[in-house]
Amino acid sequence: MLVTENLTKKYKDFTAVDNLCLEVRDGSIFGFLGHNGAGKTTTLSMLTTLILPTSGCATIAGLDVVKDNLKVRKMLGYLPENVTLYGDLTARENLRFFGRLSEIDSVDARIDEILGLLKFNEWKDRKIRNFSKGMRQRIGIAQAIMHKPKMLFLDEPTSGLDPQGTKDMRDLLLMLNKEWGTTIFMNTHLLSEVTNICTDIGIISHGKLLAADSLSNIQMRFPQAKSLEEIYFNIEGGEQSETGSYNS
Amino acid sequence: MKPVLTIADKEFRAAFKDKVFLLITALFFVLSIASVYIGSSTKNAEMTAYNNVVDLLKAQGSSNLPVSPDIYPLAILKNIITYVSMIGSVLAIFLGFDAFSGERENGSIKLILTRPVYRDQLITGKLIGGGMVIGLLLIITLIVNILLFTAVSRIFPTANEIGRLVAFIFTAFLYMMVILTITLFISIKTSDRTFGFLTMMIIWLFIGFVIPQLAETQRNFAMSLNSTSQAVTTVATDTVASRIIEYFSPAAQFESIGENLLQTVSDTAGIGVLSVIFKQAISAFCMLAPGIVLLLASYRAVQKEEL
Repeated sequence: MLVTENLTKKYKDFTAVDNLCLEVRDGSIFGFLGHNGAGKTTTLSMLTTLILPTSGCATIAGLDVVKDNLKVRKMLGYLPENVTLYGDLTARENLRFFGRLSEIDSVDARIDEILGLLKFNEWKDRKIRNFSKGMRQRIGIAQAIMHKPKMLFLDEPTSGLDPQGTKDMRDLLLMLNKEWGTTIFMNTHLLSEVTNICTDIGIISHGKLLAADSLSNIQMRFPQAKSLEEIYFNIEGGEQSETGSYNS
Repeated sequence: MKPVLTIADKEFRAAFKDKVFLLITALFFVLSIASVYIGSSTKNAEMTAYNNVVDLLKAQGSSNLPVSPDIYPLAILKNIITYVSMIGSVLAIFLGFDAFSGERENGSIKLILTRPVYRDQLITGKLIGGGMVIGLLLIITLIVNILLFTAVSRIFPTANEIGRLVAFIFTAFLYMMVILTITLFISIKTSDRTFGFLTMMIIWLFIGFVIPQLAETQRNFAMSLNSTSQAVTTVATDTVASRIIEYFSPAAQFESIGENLLQTVSDTAGIGVLSVIFKQAISAFCMLAPGIVLLLASYRAVQKEEL
């Protein structure tokens, strides 16, 4: 579904993403792990056509994210971290705006369908300004899935959510993956989330991909590890030892 | 074209949900209506006083009657020039100051640009949306003021006067669009909406007050020079220097065009609307130039923007 080849992003002398070679299987839930500043959001921004790579390439369903960016955008849904949308507009007006931009034909019917799915219909005519973080996140996910994208990109989707909100989000993502067949690419540093819903993972540190495989294969590589957290630190610690940055 | 119209429609609806914007709009309407009412009443009083004098002289058997004052009905509306120049600018600033910085702050720009929308369509949509708001406000102002003006002054404008009025409203639209375009550019270049707003207010102060005052100072200097020289060597009051200074102020250019269209300048008060437009071509160019340059710069800047 998604393939990157030597994908690189540089900001002057700083390399945010360094020769990233990655493959995300169709129908998988891919958890992209890394510490703050590892290059996760920069990668996501390149894949969602928001920024141009310095070099390398990426394709989604065979379409180049640079050359075929408009076609790629029709296939993807995106939920950035901490999105607040338009506070002066109601939930319905916000969704109508994004639905029209996504070229949905009967947008109002789709809004009702999606908000029904999210159990949010009673709030649809309220202004977003008055919503809690969890409610905004639901509208955020609604705008991301309302055009039924083939691939969904999420940046820290459960960040700031309470336990119930986190569970609701997890259930929704699993439903989208199973029932709609949506491939999900999720940036996160919450390892518990990855264990609960991801089928595949990638670990990035200092812009370099350290590992990428199915969760079960990764776990098999570290049979002695008791948790994903231990595996993560083993992989990241190996990279740090190689670079010497944290090795004392 | 569809994404452009969707964005324009959203901008149009969002503007009328902003309480501060609505407050300034109400202020603009109230001032323009009050201005037309006061102007019409004053003109009526002037004509009544003239007629009373004529009646009195006729009753006394005098044949030496005073000349009837020139009636330039549109001059009644002259205060609207100042309101558009000042309050109209603030309205345009309010429409655009957070057009991009606000989108960046609330993350919605990423949601727009991950949809099948070109970046230049985002600017065009915002500009059309702002233009729709400005156009609607000015058309309502035009209709209300013509009706009020006719009702109070009992003067029915001629075709030429209506032409001048329409040309004035169109010039006001272009002027406010220039301010909106400058504001959009500032909004693209600043990441913080408050900083963008303050930057735009400083620019507004410069183009609305500082530059015209510099030109005025230059004129005053010429007048005092003429006074000192006792007409031996006179300098034209409207000096080249002051005119050049004013070229840098779209507000001053708009006021110049507005004064000529609304019959407050005696040289052009009696001529046709097309002749006035032709005579004001340089002012129109100077008024529009910053808007055109910064619009092109905005298209360029938004293409380069890293989100």
